[in-house]
Amino acid sequence: MSDTAEAEVLDIPEMDPDAWADFVEAQGWTDGLPLVPPTEDAVARMMDGARGDNEPFAAITPRLLTPTLRSLAANAVMAGCRPAYFPAVLAALRAVLVADYNLHGTLATTHSCAPMIMINGPLRHALNINCGTNCFGQGWRANAAIGRALQLILNNVGGARPGIMDRSTFGSPAKYTFCFGENEEESPFDPYHVRQGFRADESVVTVISSEPNHNLNDHGSTTGRDLLTTFAGGIAAPTANTISAKGPFFIILGPEHAATIARDKWTVPQIQQFLFDTARVPITEVSPENQERYETGGNPPENGFYKVAPTPDDIHVAVAGGPGKHSAWIPSFGGTAAISIRVKPPAAG
Amino acid sequence: MRIVNPTFGIAPQDEGSATAGPVDWLNDPMVLFSNNKPNARELLEGVRSRLASIRRIDNIDHIAKGSASQPAPPEMINDVVRKYRIALLALGD
Amino acid sequence: MRKRGLVGVVIATETFRPLVLAQAKARKLEPHLVVVKHPVGGLNAAELEDRINTAFAGLRLEMKS
Repeated sequence: MSDTAEAEVLDIPEMDPDAWADFVEAQGWTDGLPLVPPTEDAVARMMDGARGDNEPFAAITPRLLTPTLRSLAANAVMAGCRPAYFPAVLAALRAVLVADYNLHGTLATTHSCAPMIMINGPLRHALNINCGTNCFGQGWRANAAIGRALQLILNNVGGARPGIMDRSTFGSPAKYTFCFGENEEESPFDPYHVRQGFRADESVVTVISSEPNHNLNDHGSTTGRDLLTTFAGGIAAPTANTISAKGPFFIILGPEHAATIARDKWTVPQIQQFLFDTARVPITEVSPENQERYETGGNPPENGFYKVAPTPDDIHVAVAGGPGKHSAWIPSFGGTAAISIRVKPPAAG
Repeated sequence: MRIVNPTFGIAPQDEGSATAGPVDWLNDPMVLFSNNKPNARELLEGVRSRLASIRRIDNIDHIAKGSASQPAPPEMINDVVRKYRIALLALGD
Repeated sequence: MRKRGLVGVVIATETFRPLVLAQAKARKLEPHLVVVKHPVGGLNAAELEDRINTAFAGLRLEMKS
């Protein structure tokens, strides 16, 4: 891959699928898996999926080049997107380009963060986005391709190539794709995007720079309070990037856990407050050197315990997944924010 | 086969080349700018102590970003640009 | 900072050298870069001494260039 802007269209020799796979690998364009060739026709069809979207994009760090709709569509084609997915990809890109998301920091860090993408609203059904059983896993084209397209854009236009600009010690499977929908239909609470001020009939993409999901297993508790107590214990981790209140995180309630918690009359703000108050890391689990760091960073312990989020509002609660006594903790990079952006439907015609 | 270049982007307008003029390495005010990672301060302070053998150090100050994972706030950058001619930055883990 | 009249010298560990160079290239800058062995974090005072010596030697070269 060249580090400078070059021709928007490339004339390359005809090649069979094996040669094409070798070619994209040599160019550094791939995440390691085969890519769909972004022919001019395929890219034109992809762009039609976002017709009418003329809002310009900011330059993408670290190369600091401003993408064109065409180069973005080329990455969506390569990722295996249908044209109907493209508006969601563009919304996710716009979200990670919001300053508070801290794209540069999240790409250059040694932490294993990746952009988590959660989709709300009617688009989930229109695109067949998995919100239920195995929603963080394999098997659904929309989940796989939307997240993958964003990663390819960051790699190819942004230049966040692993090992060079992406300095992650381990990386994570979420760097291939990490996209799911909220299971609004099985949630006893208002959908996440409605709680962020959007209308229920709007489709919204929410991103945060995060680790993959960490499981919160509780088969035994029968009350909302007991479930939340279990969760608080699971997320009070001295090794998380969010230790000493450095950033936000998500709690994804499985529908069965959500039902129990709601049955016991817990509201989302009450859940946030309970977890904020209860999920604390005792100072005895933190080394003296780190205690000094957190003190210097302006986040000293309170009564012998460290907070794991700056405020209750930094604990984001949503519902997803299928049957089973599991929920999920999605710890963030720390220096990032959850950003929600409305997906623009394509113009008529 | 004609394909759309997935790396294509529009380069920013050329803002001109660097404008930093010559500096007096032995006398100009210097800032030690820490990224706030562990040992960054100690590394920079160690360099400062060695600088004492070759230049004045009474006009060398130390500042640190508030968070290692987030960019320095613009007001901090503005302050540095206004007060100093040389910046020694520590980057990395 | 450079484009605003400040001369910046970056001390980076070898692991982050490609990152510094890529960023500088995107900004069309020739970085004053001093590379020290990775890591810096997690070292005790005796181990850090080596990094400080390398950084100081590199800085002296930059001062002469």
